[in-house]
Amino acid sequence: MSAPNCLRCLVRPSAALRLSAPPPASALKPATPPLTAAASRRAPFSTTPAAAAAPKSSSQGQQAAAKGHVRKGKRLTLKGKKKQKSLDHGKSPLPGERKAYRKRITLSNDNAIKVPWLTDLAAPDLADPANVGKVLALPPTTQDQLRASEAFKPTQTWGMFRQPAVLVRKETVDLTQRMQEAAAARKVLRMVVTGNKVTGKSLMLLQAMTHAFLNEWVVIHLPEAQELTTAVTEYAPLADTSPVQYSQPVYALKLLHAIRKANADVLAKTFTVSEHSELPQSLPAGSPLLAIANQAKEVDSAWVIFQALWNELMAPAPNRPPILLSLDGLAHVMRVSDYRSPAFEPIHAFDLALVRLFTDALGGAVKFPAGGAVLGATSRNNSPRSPSMELALAQREAEQQQQQQPGVEVPQKDPFFRGYDERVDAVLRSVQVLRLGGVDRREARALLEYWAASGMLRTVVDEKAVAEKWTLAGGGVLGEMERASLLTMRV
Amino acid sequence: MMPSSRRGLTSAVRGVCKALDGTASRRPPSLEQQLRSLRLSSPALAPVPGSRRCLSTESSDPAGSRQQPPPQLAITAAAPVNLASLASRPRLAEHARVLPASASYFSRTPVFNEHFLEVYKLSRTYANLPVIPSADAERVAWKTLFDLRQTLGEPVKATEYAQCLKLVKRLHLIHPDLKPPAVTDALRYFKRDVQGFLNAPKPIAIDKFGRALGVGRRKASVAHAWVVEGDGQVLINGKTLADYFGRVHDRESAVWALHATDRIDKYNVWARVTGGGTTGQAEALKLAVAKALMAHEPALKPALRRAGCITRDPRRVERKKHGRVKARKMPTWVKR
Repeated sequence: MSAPNCLRCLVRPSAALRLSAPPPASALKPATPPLTAAASRRAPFSTTPAAAAAPKSSSQGQQAAAKGHVRKGKRLTLKGKKKQKSLDHGKSPLPGERKAYRKRITLSNDNAIKVPWLTDLAAPDLADPANVGKVLALPPTTQDQLRASEAFKPTQTWGMFRQPAVLVRKETVDLTQRMQEAAAARKVLRMVVTGNKVTGKSLMLLQAMTHAFLNEWVVIHLPEAQELTTAVTEYAPLADTSPVQYSQPVYALKLLHAIRKANADVLAKTFTVSEHSELPQSLPAGSPLLAIANQAKEVDSAWVIFQALWNELMAPAPNRPPILLSLDGLAHVMRVSDYRSPAFEPIHAFDLALVRLFTDALGGAVKFPAGGAVLGATSRNNSPRSPSMELALAQREAEQQQQQQPGVEVPQKDPFFRGYDERVDAVLRSVQVLRLGGVDRREARALLEYWAASGMLRTVVDEKAVAEKWTLAGGGVLGEMERASLLTMRV
Repeated sequence: MMPSSRRGLTSAVRGVCKALDGTASRRPPSLEQQLRSLRLSSPALAPVPGSRRCLSTESSDPAGSRQQPPPQLAITAAAPVNLASLASRPRLAEHARVLPASASYFSRTPVFNEHFLEVYKLSRTYANLPVIPSADAERVAWKTLFDLRQTLGEPVKATEYAQCLKLVKRLHLIHPDLKPPAVTDALRYFKRDVQGFLNAPKPIAIDKFGRALGVGRRKASVAHAWVVEGDGQVLINGKTLADYFGRVHDRESAVWALHATDRIDKYNVWARVTGGGTTGQAEALKLAVAKALMAHEPALKPALRRAGCITRDPRRVERKKHGRVKARKMPTWVKR
């Protein structure tokens, strides 16, 4: 709302225009037409004196008024060259800048309304069944840790809200409770999170990581499995391995940086049990693990440092932290990779040392000293077909169901199909499967209420709205609920 | 002898004419002329100047003949015509050719005229029979002008068709209990062969499992939707709504009938859709769900109609025409 009068000088805007306008221009420069036409066309509600701005130098109408009919612009040109417009678009973005813009993670939106009842997550919250159907915020330190380990993805809608917050689902509590039980029993929870498109698989990993960070676990997260197997990072054969394994030093360095940044506190409290002379700067026993991670500065030594760190974490010592090892995009590691051996033979993904580290842990070959969890999440975006993995997950799921209802049939291998991979079968022989689907009405309602409280959903959240969104989202599929209610507002 | 009556006069004139037949002109004189000539010849009447013409046939000299009528032509009245006997006499083949039974034979539209006449006669005959209000009468699809022209092969005029159909509709309104069989027979001809109004919609039944099956169509898609009381789950060809329709708009279309009536969390939908594209399938589902929903709650029909879930959208792909690139698109203009 603009006041009808100018608030400074208490003059009506039209009068103010006349007052502040320069003396009639025709007196000074006969070619310039009087400004009154332009001035009177200003929006009547604007209290800004129009003449305060510099007078328009030359618009077409003014020229026409000054010189009469302008012939030049109207001349018919039959074969004339078109004037090349040299539009100045400013500086074009540097290489990689566009991608960085595309992949940036925005975790807050200052324009979103602050939700008053939103509380930060504490250590036991994610494992508390009383919190099912609540939206809880991620504390700032955890945000930094998660960001360092690349748990947030650019497709998620963190940037719409003032503070990153997560919905606690039944599956979340189930998963975190199992993690707790495993850590208490010094065992390893080996689990694959799977489900349909946009059902929240990556977010389930994020919640597991949040739980781990809050409970002072060491978290090693491989955010995109395809970065490991699609031959986009350097690789080198490892000496003294048979069959030959390959290290990926550049990726290892990046991973070490992430581990160091995300787990600095825990690593500083954990100490080595043996001395490390193979490192660039040899470390005596009893030095903090953070010192090992701190040495990761160059690609050449990255794999050695990573192995030293891993061996220390695996060392059977009394006060080791539990470990969460997680990987997103499982299908990419459950296949033959795009790398080639020096003999130009395709390299199986399990022959990549970093992948093997994960798959050995997932297959149950590694015992963590303080227990922990190995989580893999399948992805439905750009994921290759892996028939063995699909079959194994279906079998494990059926076996899990069999414990509740004995009549369930376990799918068997197609005897006429050759695409199965025995190494994959061996890894996935005894994992647990957590299948994600839609959330129920209560959880959906909590989420919608949070969105509405943030000002992102502009409807009354009642039973009708919840039912509608729930149905449109194919039975409460979270990503589809976002699409149906949040992203429709994105212009 | 003086003719005492008009009939006598007439016959007298006839007698004159017969006597003069040899010399008289071939044209038979009109009754008026005869009467005038009679007036002239009878002494009781004043001479009329216009009567000369009739007498001019008698002799070549009109001036003399007026003064001196020939004495030997005595007017004798012919025997009166006995009309009764004329009528009773059997008329034997007086004509050499066969005459059609109806005069319509000579018109351009003989069959139509016959029917028209029949309807006309019936409407005159039964004009006084009680009628029912047109809303109560059985709905009939009458032959259109085009249909009539096609079936008859006659160039029936639109105005005549309109007049005829007006009578037909009037006859149709006669109270069914009193309607004569002749009327029913006559009207049968004007009914279309296919009576769409006889197609009574089959009410959708709810089976023993509580399901109602609705069928909807749009473009090339056909959707069968089984709607059952539930909590808002939707399965289309075995997939959830979000899996089956990528566009949110299509999802909304598919459950629009439930959404518009606030029933989205009261029913479950299990649907089978075939043919067409995504939009067509979604909108076919809209109709199918609406029909099945009406089986559960018939009172929702006005609300569903307002929501646009009742009327079938008849639009299809427009056919391509020769000389055009697509249905409407013209080829690119090329100089020379």
